[in-house]
Amino acid sequence: MKLWKKLAAATALTVIAGGAMAEGLYAPNMAYRTGPFAALGIPLMNGQADYMTMLNERDGGVGGVPVDFSECETGYSTEKGVECYEKTKGTAIVTQPWSTGITLQVLPKTNVDEIPILAPGYGFSPMSEGGTFQWAYNPPASYWDGAYMIVSHIAGGDMSTLKGKKIAFLHLDHPFGKEPLPLLEQMAEEHGFELVPVPVGLKEMQNQSAQWLQIRRERPDNVIMWGWGAMNSAAIQEAVKTRYPMDQFYGVWWAGHDPDLAAVGEEGKGYKSISWSMPQPDSGLMADIKKYVIDTGKTQTTEDQLNSVFYQRGLVMSMMLAEGIKAAQEHTGNATIGPKDLRWGLENLNITDEKLAELGMEGMVPPFSTSCSNHTGHSGAWILEWDGAKFTQASDLLQADQSVIKSLAEAKAAEYADANAPWPVVECDS
Amino acid sequence: MDFLNSLLVQPFADMFAAPDFLMQVLWEGLVSGILYALIALGFVLIFRSSRIFNFAQGIMVVFAALTLVGFHEMGVPAWISVILSLGVMFVLAVSIERVVLRPLVGQPDIILFMATIGITLFLIGFGELIFGGENKIMITEELGIPTGEFIFEPFGGFLLLEQKDVTAVVVAAVLVIALLAFLNKTRMGRAIRALGDDHQAALSVGISLQTIWVLVWFIAGIIALVTGIAWGARAGVSFALEVIAYKALPVLMLGGLESITGAIIGGLMIGLFEKLFEIYWGQPLLGGNTETWFAFVLALFVLLFRPQGLFGERIIERV
Repeated sequence: MKLWKKLAAATALTVIAGGAMAEGLYAPNMAYRTGPFAALGIPLMNGQADYMTMLNERDGGVGGVPVDFSECETGYSTEKGVECYEKTKGTAIVTQPWSTGITLQVLPKTNVDEIPILAPGYGFSPMSEGGTFQWAYNPPASYWDGAYMIVSHIAGGDMSTLKGKKIAFLHLDHPFGKEPLPLLEQMAEEHGFELVPVPVGLKEMQNQSAQWLQIRRERPDNVIMWGWGAMNSAAIQEAVKTRYPMDQFYGVWWAGHDPDLAAVGEEGKGYKSISWSMPQPDSGLMADIKKYVIDTGKTQTTEDQLNSVFYQRGLVMSMMLAEGIKAAQEHTGNATIGPKDLRWGLENLNITDEKLAELGMEGMVPPFSTSCSNHTGHSGAWILEWDGAKFTQASDLLQADQSVIKSLAEAKAAEYADANAPWPVVECDS
Repeated sequence: MDFLNSLLVQPFADMFAAPDFLMQVLWEGLVSGILYALIALGFVLIFRSSRIFNFAQGIMVVFAALTLVGFHEMGVPAWISVILSLGVMFVLAVSIERVVLRPLVGQPDIILFMATIGITLFLIGFGELIFGGENKIMITEELGIPTGEFIFEPFGGFLLLEQKDVTAVVVAAVLVIALLAFLNKTRMGRAIRALGDDHQAALSVGISLQTIWVLVWFIAGIIALVTGIAWGARAGVSFALEVIAYKALPVLMLGGLESITGAIIGGLMIGLFEKLFEIYWGQPLLGGNTETWFAFVLALFVLLFRPQGLFGERIIERV
């Protein structure tokens, strides 16, 4: 029965998407519902798709124009992601690459093809420098923001306490996993802590005993995990087995998936994950999602996933795209917009508390805004902690020190532009 | 000089300085090695009887484990789920023989190899359609597998052996002994070996190719289920397990494609050596993550001197 429901939902979504494509706004999503990373991708992509379905059902789309949110399956493979990009670029108004590897491959093409990249909470951190990366957006927070906030939380806000400490950085040996290294290395040098990088190969994600033996030998004060997909659940199980104190174990926002922790239950108590989104089961948005998407069977998700961190983060991601489209429609006065118009919209996102209340999304994401010089928004994030059964908020809103992030981002953006010369760079007024 | 010291002296000094840690490394290597050996056994069995390199062995591990967990999620008791999963693996073996292999009898080996890639892709898609792509938790406790720990204090240190790992090692050993007994002491087992030695001669004495192929694919399915349970209990059940199965390739290169002994010894060697190298040389000298390539380099060295692997048969072709 479950299989038939899935098939029916998939067929219905395809038909809806196909119908909408004829005259709607084509916003393809480079999904990964298959392969070793699917466990993480499925709830996120369900959330993203359901938000757009809700808008299509409730409001007839965005500004009255339906959104075609078709998926192009990549399995998190960079090669397949590039194929998806080439296949969709003719009619797409946005590229949602869904992997740092794909983002890095597509990034140089954006200046030529003039299609904005929207990579919420992932991608290349210096994309925040809008003057250099005119077509790339990674709101509401970059990986460098995330790494800084985790280290800051470890330090209890006082970076001088880090002196002499040892922090292991358990990361996927992949562009995504290596992304925060420049910032962490700089912070280690500046604040006098020892950084121990512990890479995990893509083929060894479920075979991490060597990495955890290294952690046992090194006895780090803290472990920061930059993991994705099956790597996270295996790491959490190894941490429990190694008896590493879970309250000293932090993960990036992709390493805070409810089922990964549910597998260890009480033994995972104390594990922390930074997050720029927070599930709000009683929000107005969730009521609309239930009414227009869940109850009508136009979803691939199951009801038990609705209040999970990742499903609701998927909703937030699509909200950013929808608000970008709205801003572009208002700016141009046209309901049907193109990629250049959307670029303006994404550059002028203004997600205030009032806007979130209007959208029924209070507390689901911190307020943020983007501009020509700031393509990230740097919203800040919360620390979520596993209490044995679920994630709960364990900190006030944290912020990264932008004087540190900005100078590094400027330097790396300039380095990127030099390495890819001639690379167009503009001066931003705002 | 420093480099030579960290290459030739320091690793051994570290081993002597913390023998309990060395024992832990060896234990983790042994467990990984046993599981590599099990996956490699599935390859060897099918290769011996049909000269087919079964690329689908890795996905069979995932498919078997997902089937088991899937039945249990439907409310079927754990051990009944095991029996039903074995039934599914049998149906899979019959289907593969009827639909894929039988029409390809007599075709070049590379065609049959390509067919197993097709089986892999089919099982990935079919598995994801039925079970979804989410990670699943192995029903370890429901199967009665102990989940506690044995803790020892050798040399005043700390050594932790998970009971589920100990169980995996014991079950794998029993399975290998049973398999060897089956192949050497039963008519069917001898028929499998005969088919591997000489197809034409085996067929001429009345051995049924179809029956043997179904049998070996079913045995490979049983091995896949045991491996899936053991590895799933360690790290969960997900499609990422399929990637680990490719570790069996260097095991086969090392041990030899036709040798059961080679698969076992090759698996254990790779499990132990890659763990020792990663901990005492890879992490301090190369920044870690050497397990992704170490086994292949080791196999390459063996192939340079013994192209047929340590235990493989030397094939002499007269032209």
